[in-house]
Amino acid sequence: MAAFDTGWMERWQALVNQDSVTKIIGRHLTTDVLLAFGDTAYVVSFVGGTIPKVSSNIGPESTYAFALRGPAETWAKFIQPVPPPMYNDIWAMAHPLHGRLQIEGDVKVMWQNLRAFTWTLDLMRNVQE
Amino acid sequence: MANIEPITGRYVRVPYEGEDYRVFYEEAGQGIPLVCLHTAGTDTREWRHQLCDTDINSDFRVIALDLPRHGKSIPPQGWWKEEYKLTAKFYSEFLMAFCKELELDNPVIMGSSMGGNICLHLARNFSSDLRALIAIEACDYSPGWWLDWLWNPHVHGGEACATSVYGLMAPQSPEEYRRETWWYYSQSGPGIFKGDLYFYSVDHDFRETAEQLSGDIPIYFMTGVYDFACTPEMTEKTAKKVKNSECIIMEEIGHFPMCENPVTFKKYLMPVLAKIRQTG
Repeated sequence: MAAFDTGWMERWQALVNQDSVTKIIGRHLTTDVLLAFGDTAYVVSFVGGTIPKVSSNIGPESTYAFALRGPAETWAKFIQPVPPPMYNDIWAMAHPLHGRLQIEGDVKVMWQNLRAFTWTLDLMRNVQE
Repeated sequence: MANIEPITGRYVRVPYEGEDYRVFYEEAGQGIPLVCLHTAGTDTREWRHQLCDTDINSDFRVIALDLPRHGKSIPPQGWWKEEYKLTAKFYSEFLMAFCKELELDNPVIMGSSMGGNICLHLARNFSSDLRALIAIEACDYSPGWWLDWLWNPHVHGGEACATSVYGLMAPQSPEEYRRETWWYYSQSGPGIFKGDLYFYSVDHDFRETAEQLSGDIPIYFMTGVYDFACTPEMTEKTAKKVKNSECIIMEEIGHFPMCENPVTFKKYLMPVLAKIRQTG
């Protein structure tokens, strides 16, 4: 089992769904997000701060509000227990100065839920490989 | 006995361009005036550790002010009819007007982020009235932060502004202090963080002029390795252009050294303050 495969995503999904803080700060986080780790992509469905579904079956009919796309090597640094400088945060990776992560689409819902959304991404550091 | 901190908070009226600004400031200690500048959209609380540190305030009169529209300093008349955009002219001239009202004798100015960037403007226009500059997380140009999402009625400004800067702090900094810094950022008025970033990312540009600074007072550049807005490379490149400057890169710390990790910051700051003390 490796980082970003379907098993790893299921373990992250479970961590988010068990997390008590996400339940508090994420109650309005309801959207579909595409997360692309290099060539491996998923549509993650958030509903009220939980993740009822992660879809790996990405195709022409997939829909999502916004997408985060970055090389798997970039995400691998992001999920390290102590990530290195310039990789510890999505805005660090996406800032125009660095350009390691692309954030695309209707990002209003991301900004509206930035605290909860980034909190769930930070939980990726706790996923057992 | 009550555990009362040594900080005193007061208000001073600062006249500037026909406006009578009511400015809140905190101070502690005695000695060389050391004026501390908060980052964008925040206030004096960022400097609470240094204000209370007897290793610092035994030789320095440590003063931190809330810029107008920040913390307890109220906005000027008519603020409700205009979009706030901090300019280098207002920022630098207002700081000098504040120092004049308090009758500070050749103060040291120490600021972080936008408070670091303004040091270049102070060096250009007011060096004869200053002793030294400590420019933390500063460089000649820091683009990319003047964003509409930071002031948008569809978005909770406090949560969005605070979370957008959270990753500027190092994972090694104590979570308690990183969350406290987040808390400060969650509390600025609508559009104030974005308005400050107009100065930080638009009105501040020394790429072509940093080499022209006279170098008649020392500038100490200090940047943390986790600062992705002003990276160590950006600071080093700037410091190479600035005469009479020193560049200090700080490990395991980010964009808010004074409040995200005061212990680590102190290791780097004390030698700088010692040099300033020795040169008088």
